[in-house]
Amino acid sequence: MKKRMLVILLAALMLVATACSGGTGTGAPGTGGTNGGTGSTGENEGDNTSSEQVELRVMWWGDQKRADRTNQVLELFTKKYPNIKVMGEFAPATGYFDKLNTQLASGTAADIFFLGGNVVDYANKGVLLELDPYVGKELDLSDMDETMVKYGTLGGKLLHVSAGANARGIVVNTKLFEQAGIPVPQDGWNWDDYARISKELSGKLGKGVYGTYNFTVDGMDIALKQNGAQLYNMEEGKPGFQEADALKWFKYWESTTASGGVVTPELAVSNPPGDPSKSLIVTGKVAMSLIPSNQLAAHQSLTEDPLTMVQLPRGPKGTGVVFESSQGLSGYAKTKHPKEVAMLINFFINDSEAAKILGNDRGVPVTSKNRALLEGEASDVDKIVYDYTSRVSEATKTEPFSVSYNPPGFAEFSKLAETTVQEIGFGRKKVEQAVKDFYNGTLTIFESNQ
Amino acid sequence: MGTSRKSLAREQNATAYLFLLPWLIGFFCLTAGPMLGSLYLSLTKYNLLSPPTWLGLDNYVQIFTQDDTFSGSLMLTFKYVFISVPLRLAFALLVAVALNKGIRALGIYRTIYYIPSLLGGSVAIAIVWRQIFDGTGVVNKALSLFGIQGPSWISHPDYIVHTIVTLSVWQFGSAMVIFLAGLKQIPADLYEAAEVDGARKRNQFFSITLPMLSPVIFFNLIMSVIHSFQAFTPAFVIGDGRGGPLDATMFYTLYLYLKGFSFFDMGYASALAWIMLLIIGVLTAVIFVTSKYWVFYGDNKDGR
Repeated sequence: MKKRMLVILLAALMLVATACSGGTGTGAPGTGGTNGGTGSTGENEGDNTSSEQVELRVMWWGDQKRADRTNQVLELFTKKYPNIKVMGEFAPATGYFDKLNTQLASGTAADIFFLGGNVVDYANKGVLLELDPYVGKELDLSDMDETMVKYGTLGGKLLHVSAGANARGIVVNTKLFEQAGIPVPQDGWNWDDYARISKELSGKLGKGVYGTYNFTVDGMDIALKQNGAQLYNMEEGKPGFQEADALKWFKYWESTTASGGVVTPELAVSNPPGDPSKSLIVTGKVAMSLIPSNQLAAHQSLTEDPLTMVQLPRGPKGTGVVFESSQGLSGYAKTKHPKEVAMLINFFINDSEAAKILGNDRGVPVTSKNRALLEGEASDVDKIVYDYTSRVSEATKTEPFSVSYNPPGFAEFSKLAETTVQEIGFGRKKVEQAVKDFYNGTLTIFESNQ
Repeated sequence: MGTSRKSLAREQNATAYLFLLPWLIGFFCLTAGPMLGSLYLSLTKYNLLSPPTWLGLDNYVQIFTQDDTFSGSLMLTFKYVFISVPLRLAFALLVAVALNKGIRALGIYRTIYYIPSLLGGSVAIAIVWRQIFDGTGVVNKALSLFGIQGPSWISHPDYIVHTIVTLSVWQFGSAMVIFLAGLKQIPADLYEAAEVDGARKRNQFFSITLPMLSPVIFFNLIMSVIHSFQAFTPAFVIGDGRGGPLDATMFYTLYLYLKGFSFFDMGYASALAWIMLLIIGVLTAVIFVTSKYWVFYGDNKDGR
């Protein structure tokens, strides 16, 4: 009896041992396949593409439409390079970075992932693959705009390749303007005009319809630039604005809200402007908001009302908007196949077939050849976007502004800013006190994330 | 066979440990290691991507002296626990008593009422909840039939926590099933004797049912309190996933998650986790200590 017990116990212990060690082994299978591949297809050794069987993972954020397009492109890539197998993963924008951070922490991040203006946060932490060794070989940047290449060069290293360019602007639901009998605003207007028109729209369109979303947070960096300040001074590693600068901006929105021209905070919470499928622009309840130009098509596809884009109202130094990278690709520093990573990035930005499939979904293409290609077959919405971005480019020739990377600790910063707007909106704090707390909180966040 | 008492006991111990083995494996492989790891991390500054650097107690000091979100989220979580747990238990007991009247098809009712407990933690249900309590959702449409203009339950900081509480109360099924089993254990002769003495139903409930059920209530209370402290999914999905609006959904677990995985401060998040462990531990201990004043085991071992 006792003996049998011992045997069972030993068997159980063995199970423990195997169960515990099983976890560490899972990373390996990828390499197992690699050796098999070389053995079977050793014939085309002279080829500059190696015949090794390689598997890459790519991760991005966005909706189903973007996922379909991206997967199509990845399939095309696999057809062209049969030895590289590509696995796509995607998540909605809200959970994407949490997922990425978790994977980076555990060392299981995709070989290639998309980043936005927060690329700085990741570059600082040294998790991005240095792409310089592949430029001119696997990665051809000769046709890419120089400003875009510069955008992805952080600390002297190329860590990020932009996948599309955009410019933020005011999206306008022209049908609501028509209903209210107000002419659609033109470039060159100022913030007083904006407040006045918002108020008029709300007044004329009746209950439940508003002039504008509150974009205190999304527009803050632009507003600061319009006044000669900036959110964060990267060169010196310190905040680029004073409390008074922020107070002015918050106060502008407080008074515009008080006049009735702005969506109520409750509505903005249940229908956040960042999500086109919930946006009140699309449902015809709000006439104006701030969006990146590549999002216009996503909005337009959800509504019959004709939308258009107007430049931001001007401040003392101009519109503060530049034509800049909307998002781009970075390699993972720990990838096993850096060369193939460079090849895929190259394919994404240079291949004409890929450009046709991707369209302007992530922004206007960054290579002049592909841009010309898409402009040739532009839809009506695309034309509005092109027209808008070229107006922005034109304006920045006389009124240049620096591009806007996100400040360090951006996720925490934007959460703080959002909370501050709500504290004022729901009447929990006086605007002066709220901004004071916001500014102090911002200093702490910038400092602890350097 | 004259096996001595001692070796019998030893054999029984071995059997017990054998049955405990799966749990022990889980505990040592999956729980103890990470817990000790997080204890270490809580004493460091760790941004997830670069190696942790030693800080000592700085994280704890900062949490207790400078962090308003910490105190806010703690208050909110306590509020949630103290509202949702009693409500849920009361509701579960009420339904259990009603079902215990010997109605037909008890099994079906029991299953139907239990289903929400299985589904309750899921993301899908939280999304459904969002739709129901939206400004133009079913609840407000029903209210408008009576001429009441309901607020936007899920987007106003004053109301959203109540939406989450109702979701928690709706998951009364698991507590109810346990109550139902407890009710079946109460000897019928107690009620018969009470009836003979002319006791009313209400008195029977307070003098027989509740005392006889107190061990089950005790169990359900502890489980519910621990469970409620760990609520995460409803706050994450019904709110905006960032604790908004206005930190009205910033439950303790959500704050911990955001700090660790969104704000790159895993050391701080680990410190928060340990504080939560202590809070739950202390609260559970308090319930245990007070239990001897109100839990009645019916076997007269009070002075044990």
